[in-house]
Parts: sequence; structure tokens; C-alpha cells
Amino acid sequence: MKLLKYTFAFLACAAITSCSSDDDNNNSEDLTGQTGEVTLKFDNGVGDQDFIFGTNYNKSNDESFQLETLKYIISNVAFTDSEGNTFMYPTEDNVFIVDETDGNNAGEIYITLNNVDAADYVSVSFGVGIDQDRFALGADGQGDFLDEASDEGMMWSWASGYKFIRLDGTFSTNTLTDEPLNVHMGSVGTSLDNYREVTLAFPNTVLVRDDASPEVHIKADIAKVFDGSTTANFVDGYDQVHTDVNETPIIADNINTMFSVHHVHND
Amino acid sequence: MKRELLFLFVCLLVLSCSKDSETEVYVPVLIQVEWPENFPEMAYNLDNNPLTEAGFELGKDLFYEGKLSSNGAIACAFCHEQAYAFTHHGHNLSHGVNGGVGFRNAQPIQNMAYQTSFMWNGSASHLDLQPIIPITSEIEMGETLSNIIQKLSADSEYQEKFERAFEDGEVSTENMLKALSQFMVMMVSSNSKYDKYVRQEDNVILSTIELDGLNTFQQKCTSCHATDLFTDQTFRNNGLPVNPLLNDTGRYEILEDPNDLYKFKVPSLRNVAVSGPYMHDGRFATLEVVLDFYDAGAVDNGNVDPSLLRGDNTYGITLNDYEKESVIAFLKTLTDNEFLEDERFAEY
Repeated sequence: MKLLKYTFAFLACAAITSCSSDDDNNNSEDLTGQTGEVTLKFDNGVGDQDFIFGTNYNKSNDESFQLETLKYIISNVAFTDSEGNTFMYPTEDNVFIVDETDGNNAGEIYITLNNVDAADYVSVSFGVGIDQDRFALGADGQGDFLDEASDEGMMWSWASGYKFIRLDGTFSTNTLTDEPLNVHMGSVGTSLDNYREVTLAFPNTVLVRDDASPEVHIKADIAKVFDGSTTANFVDGYDQVHTDVNETPIIADNINTMFSVHHVHND
Repeated sequence: MKRELLFLFVCLLVLSCSKDSETEVYVPVLIQVEWPENFPEMAYNLDNNPLTEAGFELGKDLFYEGKLSSNGAIACAFCHEQAYAFTHHGHNLSHGVNGGVGFRNAQPIQNMAYQTSFMWNGSASHLDLQPIIPITSEIEMGETLSNIIQKLSADSEYQEKFERAFEDGEVSTENMLKALSQFMVMMVSSNSKYDKYVRQEDNVILSTIELDGLNTFQQKCTSCHATDLFTDQTFRNNGLPVNPLLNDTGRYEILEDPNDLYKFKVPSLRNVAVSGPYMHDGRFATLEVVLDFYDAGAVDNGNVDPSLLRGDNTYGITLNDYEKESVIAFLKTLTDNEFLEDERFAEY
């Protein structure tokens, strides 16, 4: 019965598509209708070191930290081509959790994007966290992401909102040793918007074709969370960052500086 | 709209072709939510979640469903009983799974579609996402979203109900939350004696003492309990002495902004006579005690709402005995028995 329903839906769609004439002019004739797959490989590091759980990393102010949890939400991935056209990945599927524990042996976490329009792309942009438009949809269009985020501990249980980044571990200073470190930064409803977007230029053009599935290697320097555009010291309260109206925008701005495209593979 | 039409067309096709209609299909029967003429505009965006009969019924089933909790016993309705405007009668603080006791008094569920934020500290700003808080709270329902979906997916009745209620027919968190919202959006309380009086329906009139109470209320209470929702939806510190056992800082929790210390959302007063105990921690059992507090019990806890400052530099709302009596008589006219007994929202 259900199959039948889908069959009819498909037929109805096919009928409508075949009736409509799409004679739109497209300059890049070769690429019309072509799509490809793009893989974003997120690679967390601290400065020039690879990120490894439990390793102690120094930061400014003679402080150090080590982490047991490292996750963040990436959304609204879009590519811009050499002619200035933007391809936005479909909204409903355009939200991902980058979790260090999902990394391969090299500590790379893959986000695979299917059916990306074929083009010569020169930059990628994405947001960290959940933007106000997506949040305003409520449950609509969220599909399984609510479960995933909740299971991954990326939603608060005391408020309705997403943690955009989650760092759990310990920190030490000149006088303190292995004190709890928890950075759970996010937006709270409409009263606090910590969503930020970043645009990264590709070092060379990313060619998406039917038969070309490029990979984009993105480095994320976790040190920038605390030593980004603003220095955030644990002794000043940045050991516990949750929804504080003053602290969280600073962490959000810092995170926005941590990404860079290291290289791309066209194959 | 086009898509919906197409879909209806496809559904009709399917229906006309098929002989064995054992499996349920999505046939959206749209239902209207009330917008009483004395209410402000609706905050909930129905475009993202159109109300349907099957969606509403599913939402109701879920509201009364123990499977939404880890021990199978704590449904939403456990703390939200219809006869008490969907509050937890007799509990100043609610309890949940594993003997957990919460920190705040369960709030009524009524006129949710008109609210811009939820929970005493406004920690939820979208109705769809609000249920995630009690569901995943360890002291309330102690469950995970994915586990609930697993439990519901294994239940053939729920499979059918989801198929009837949603186009994609899936037992998913998205659809579960949408169904719960559909149920709650429909829960409009707008037929109290007061409503009929202001809308001039059925020749309803208020008694002298009720009118005196309304008059006092308008002079002394409506700067916060504004509009016919009886809340301006802001967060305010009303000068309650801080309970050191709970040390509940209210909205301060959200943004850790000192200006938010001890602020709680101004509650609606609809059905207030049946929804006690009162205040965020349920410390007051009667409306008399509430008004005595406003008259003479508020303390300067450092951040009290300036509107409560009196000429003698104390905080509160001066009320004589008759004013208290009449305000309570007026508040009782906000009881909406049609809502409290509405079978559409009842478990059985």
C-alpha cells in the first residue's frame, strides 16, 4: 500500500516534470544537471599539534588544558563558484555534529555532501551552531537531528537550545591543578544569538563534477577557542562557559577564527 | 499549497485504486484553532505545523503516554492535570522518575500558542522544543528522544497514528514534537465568566464585588498581568524572599546577567483559582496569601521590579481588605469550566 502510494507520487511527479519545459539558458552547458560529492574533512588540532584526547596543551597566561570531549555543530554549508554563484546545501540536511570521537586514525571527521551542483568552487562558508531561522522552525524540518543532538549531549536539558560547541576536560594554572573545564556555548532561544558564520577561500579551485568528488581538508585550531580574537583565561571564569551573556559571544567570536582550509584534493 | 493539493490528488488516486485500505494513509483534515477576539495575536507559526485531526489526536495520546518517560509511568499529564488547568494539584514542587523532586511549580498548559516563551525562566522560546526539557530532565521524565522513538516505533498502534498524522508517516522526534504542539496549541482557555462579560456574550454580567475587583485589578495589577492573557510575558522580580534551600535565581540562570536575578515570567492568571499553589516554587497555597504577600510581604532582595516601589521606599502593592476580597472575587471569574472539562483534552 505504502509502496503503491510512493509509486503514484513518483508517477505524478514524473508526469509533471515531463510536462514542464525547462529551457533556461545555462552558460556552463557542460555542467548542466551534473552533480557531485564533496567531502569536508575536519581535522582538529592545537596550534601545530594534532589534537589528542587527554593530552595537556599550553595556552596563554601560563594556563593549560586537556579534553575528554570535543564536539561542535556545523550548519548551512554553502559553496561559491568562480562566477559568484552560491550553492547552498539543502537546509534540512545541512546540519552536522563534528565529534572528535568519530575521527579516523588521523583524527579526521568526514562530512559528506551529496548532489552538490557541478561547478568550479572557490570558497566554502558555514556556520558554527544553529541560526535563528532554523531555531524558529521548532521541530519542523529537524528530522532526526534533534535526537542526534540530544544523544550527543549537544542540547541542554534545562533549556531548549543547542550547545554549539562542547569541550569537557580539566585545566591547570600556576595555582590550580586539574580543575573542571566545561565550555558548552550556544544560543538560548531568541534572547542570545551566538551563531557565527565563516567563509574560507580555497587555495585552489574545487572542481565538482559527476565523476569528480573533491575533498576539502579543514583544520580547526582548538587553541583559538581561548586564544582567538580575544584572550579568554580560565582564572577569569572561562573554565565554565554556558550561556553567560558576556562570556559566550567572546567564545563564539574566537571559534569563528579557528578554521582554515589546509588543502583540497580534486580527483 | 500546491504541494498539498498535489498530495491530496495523489492520495485520492491511491484511495480510488486500492481495495485493501488496511494500512493507514495521511489524509489531512485541517482543524482550526480558536483566536478569541479579546486575545492578542498568536505567537505560534502554524505554517510550519498545520493542525490536523490526526495530528491533534496523536498529540493527545502522547501527552498521556507513560512511554515518554524512562520508567513508563510519568506522562506529561502526570504533572499537568486537566481539572487544575493542567497543573500538578497539591504539589508545590513536582516529582518525577526515580523519586526526583523538581525545583519549580508545574505551570498550567493553556493558551500556549499565544506565549512567546515557556518555563518560569523562559528557558524555552519555541513550543515545539519545550517538551525536550522535561523529557530529558533526569528528575522529571529521565528519557532520551531516540529511546522514545524506539519504543513508539515498536508499537503498531503508534505506527498507524503517525502515518495518519504526518505526510512522511515516520515515527520521528520531529513528528512527535509537532503532534505534542498541535495538542497544546488547541488548548485555548477563553470562555470564563470574565471572557463572556468582556465579549458581551450570553448576557453575562459581573457582580458588584467582581466589578470592584476588576477595577482594583486594572489599577494595581495590569502593568504586569496585561492583556486578556493576563501576562505581559516579561520576566520580573516581585520581591519574594529567597528560599535558601532552593536558592532559585530564576532567569539569571539563562544569561547569568545580574539584572535578571530572581526574575520569573509573569504568569497568566487564567484559571488561577484552580491552579494553586502559587509562585515559581508553589510556596503560597491560597490567593489570600498571595495578596497578603503583595500587600505586606515583599522584601528588597536587591533587584525588585521598580514598579513595585512604594512612596515609603518599601516594595509591594497596597491593598485593603475589601480590595483583596474583591480582587479574588474577580480572579475567580477567570475560571473557565468549559476548558477544564473539555473532553477534547481529557484522557478518557
